Amino acid sequence: MKKGFHLRDIILLALIGIIFGVIYFAAAFVYNGLTLLLTPVGYGPMANDITMGIWCMAGPLAGFMFRLPGASFLGEFLGATVEMFLGDQWGAANLISGAVQGVGTELGFTLTGYRIYNWLTIIVVTAMTTIVTFAWDWFRNGYSHFAGQMLVVMIIVRFISIFLFAGVLNKLIINMLDRAHVIRR
Amino acid sequence: MEAISIEQLSFQFEHQHPIISKLDMTVTAGEVALITGPSGCGKSTLLRLIAGLLPKYGGQVTAGQIRRATIDRHPLRMGMLFQDPAMQFAMDTPRHELEFTLENCQVAPTQIPARIQEASNFCQISDLLDQSITTLSGGQQQRVALAVVVAMHPDLLLLDEPFAAIDEANRQFLIKQLGQWRAAQPGRTIIITDHDCHGYAALNPHVFQFTAGQLVALSLFQGKAIISRADDAASAPLHVPVPPTTAPTIIQLNHVNIGRGKRKLITIPDLAIMKNKITLLTGANGTGKSTFFKALTRLIPYQGEIDYRQKDIQKISPGKYHYQVGLVFQQANEQFLNVTVGEELTLSARHQRQPLLTNDHLTEVLRDFGLAGMEDRVVYSLSGGQRKKLQLLVMLMIGHPVLLLDEPFAGLDRDSLSTVFNLIKRCQQSLPQTILIISHQLTGLDQLVDYHLHLNDEKLTYEGVQA
Amino acid sequence: MNPSLKLFLVLIIALEVTFTSYLYSNIVIIILALAYLIYRRVRWQRLAWLVIITLVPAIAIFVTIAFFSPGHNVYFAWVLVSRLYVYVMTGSAVSCTTSALQLVRSLEQNCHLPSKFAYGILAALNLFPRIAQEVRLIRIAGQMRGITLHWWSPRLYFKAILAASQWADQMAQAMESHGFVEGQTRTSAHRVPLTRRDWTTFFILVVVLQLLIIALP
Repeated sequence: MKKGFHLRDIILLALIGIIFGVIYFAAAFVYNGLTLLLTPVGYGPMANDITMGIWCMAGPLAGFMFRLPGASFLGEFLGATVEMFLGDQWGAANLISGAVQGVGTELGFTLTGYRIYNWLTIIVVTAMTTIVTFAWDWFRNGYSHFAGQMLVVMIIVRFISIFLFAGVLNKLIINMLDRAHVIRR
Repeated sequence: MEAISIEQLSFQFEHQHPIISKLDMTVTAGEVALITGPSGCGKSTLLRLIAGLLPKYGGQVTAGQIRRATIDRHPLRMGMLFQDPAMQFAMDTPRHELEFTLENCQVAPTQIPARIQEASNFCQISDLLDQSITTLSGGQQQRVALAVVVAMHPDLLLLDEPFAAIDEANRQFLIKQLGQWRAAQPGRTIIITDHDCHGYAALNPHVFQFTAGQLVALSLFQGKAIISRADDAASAPLHVPVPPTTAPTIIQLNHVNIGRGKRKLITIPDLAIMKNKITLLTGANGTGKSTFFKALTRLIPYQGEIDYRQKDIQKISPGKYHYQVGLVFQQANEQFLNVTVGEELTLSARHQRQPLLTNDHLTEVLRDFGLAGMEDRVVYSLSGGQRKKLQLLVMLMIGHPVLLLDEPFAGLDRDSLSTVFNLIKRCQQSLPQTILIISHQLTGLDQLVDYHLHLNDEKLTYEGVQA
Repeated sequence: MNPSLKLFLVLIIALEVTFTSYLYSNIVIIILALAYLIYRRVRWQRLAWLVIITLVPAIAIFVTIAFFSPGHNVYFAWVLVSRLYVYVMTGSAVSCTTSALQLVRSLEQNCHLPSKFAYGILAALNLFPRIAQEVRLIRIAGQMRGITLHWWSPRLYFKAILAASQWADQMAQAMESHGFVEGQTRTSAHRVPLTRRDWTTFFILVVVLQLLIIALP
């Protein structure tokens, strides 16, 4: 088949979005628990940074699986679309955060020229996702009013979270998929 | 006139052995072709090649070609029914699926309601049109699937094991409607694949047998013989005793009701599974045999109480329970957790309780199973039969006190069957284990099983001669 | 209102409130969205759930800004809390009142979204119950071999994606055999109207939004 996204690929990307949704639905209490735990010490919003890597997994996974420009953005964005339809609280606002996260993860693959698919890619993807999502949250969550020291801690925590989940965990999944010949080259 | 003609066709999937080699087939317009052969032999692949779905969706044709007729200067219109009833609908309700399909076929919006009406009357699904497809039974789903393809006004219907998961009444209804559909207009052609040939006599089909990647066209007489033999096989009794009332039991069911969606499938006032024995479970398609296994392993909810060693299974932690009561799934792929054959074996060895399957003995079994030296092969690229054998082996190694086997012999050839019977028997006796088997193929099972449970009319009863 | 226009309106609102910080306009938007949800008879259990579940991040952000930030800016804390509720209420104004099929049909007919995206997503959505079941099955397959699969186990994702890959194949083939061809023209059984009235309502609401943001303190 020609390169580009076909019906099968679109279904698969949306299914991957659903899989992450289903598995994390069970882990959503992690976010709520962390928030309640951190709020009394003034670090409540940091729960968002700790779990950020989890919400950004679908994009890099899709980028590594399809190895095509736009795959990572689509993976993240379709995942968000599916979440909107499945009826979580954010509804249509999911589309915006999905698009932002999608741009972040996609940029990582753009900067490596869609040619390199190794640990370097993971580092670049992690860095770009951290920067783009943090910039968005800067406006959305009013980070300009936060203490400078807290922002530094938050951006480091966010980087680590994205690296662990969207990077390391994804890489382990990709390795298994690759060995089972699921990844097309 | 020939609707389909295939010459010297060879086909294989990536990383796998050729599944079709130098195959010839001719289907005349207006006839019913029935392709039969054991599961996993390549019937399905052939049908998808005819439909043009392969090699588009994977694999490659290495030689030969398929010619499809043109009718009134337009290419042959084909509609296809798939084996897995639920996996063929993109929409939520039958009406939406019908609309989606007719929109695809560029039917004018004003004609769409009439076409839906016509097709749903033909398949008697008018009352199902606005229900959610996921709540329908397999038989109802397959009726909807037929309505959808009939609405497309095709010239050729392709049906891939369409009755594998549906009940007898729906099977007979669908076969009857297929006959009517074909008779309504000259030149309408049907190709069906089925491993079970019973009930096809009315369609008067041209039977093809699939063996070793090739098709053999049978004469009318041979075809009729195969169909009538299949009709008889369904009623052959097994020579086993009914369990004595004093026999020790391991699982007990009290006032259990099991359903699928809103439909009630099985009612069990009182039933016991005999300890350390092998029991065969039979019943027609779609009666709920697999569903019964799913209830026993807590995969689906049920009403009433199921006890394992006198304890309600809902009160045992899932991790512990599933380590005691194991299920060998119908789909071998579901069982595997790793990538290669070697990794699967290592994983089972880590939690092994079966002393029989260690070191030298395991090597010997692997050789008997034709799996020797395949440690680095990816399990998902093994042939259907190899996958089935590996799946059984990794589960027997664990040595569950109770092991449920759902169609473990599907797709195995005659030689493999006797080695597999032998291994099950030896493993069962060495621990010992309680084993339940669902199987539609009964040849030679008298030797293996102790008791026979039959599911009919929502009831489960032990059959056989009184001891 | 036309589903696509409704979606765009909500996206415009979300973007505007993100880059502005006015409390009263946020509150007016919340009230309007809530009124719309009640008018469309969304179940009150659903509304209550929306309000309560959003309290967690809302309290966290309020406490952080009001008590722990250098400025202790309580007004700004309220702005952020109200902003969260703007996202939730307007977002639900689309997702609770429009079915996936309606939105997809509208996007296909009114916005010329390629049909492969429209129906590919719908097909995946309809497999949702099957995926939930599959994830459970994989965990049980693990337990039967003596291992526990957690939500951070790569194996769990590997197996689920493997199954999804097969289903995507099967589903795409099934859709194709139901006459679907990528890029080919389709007719539509139900036209989704995009009337002058829809456009007028849309523009009036956009203008009202600007006035709210400029006029209110």
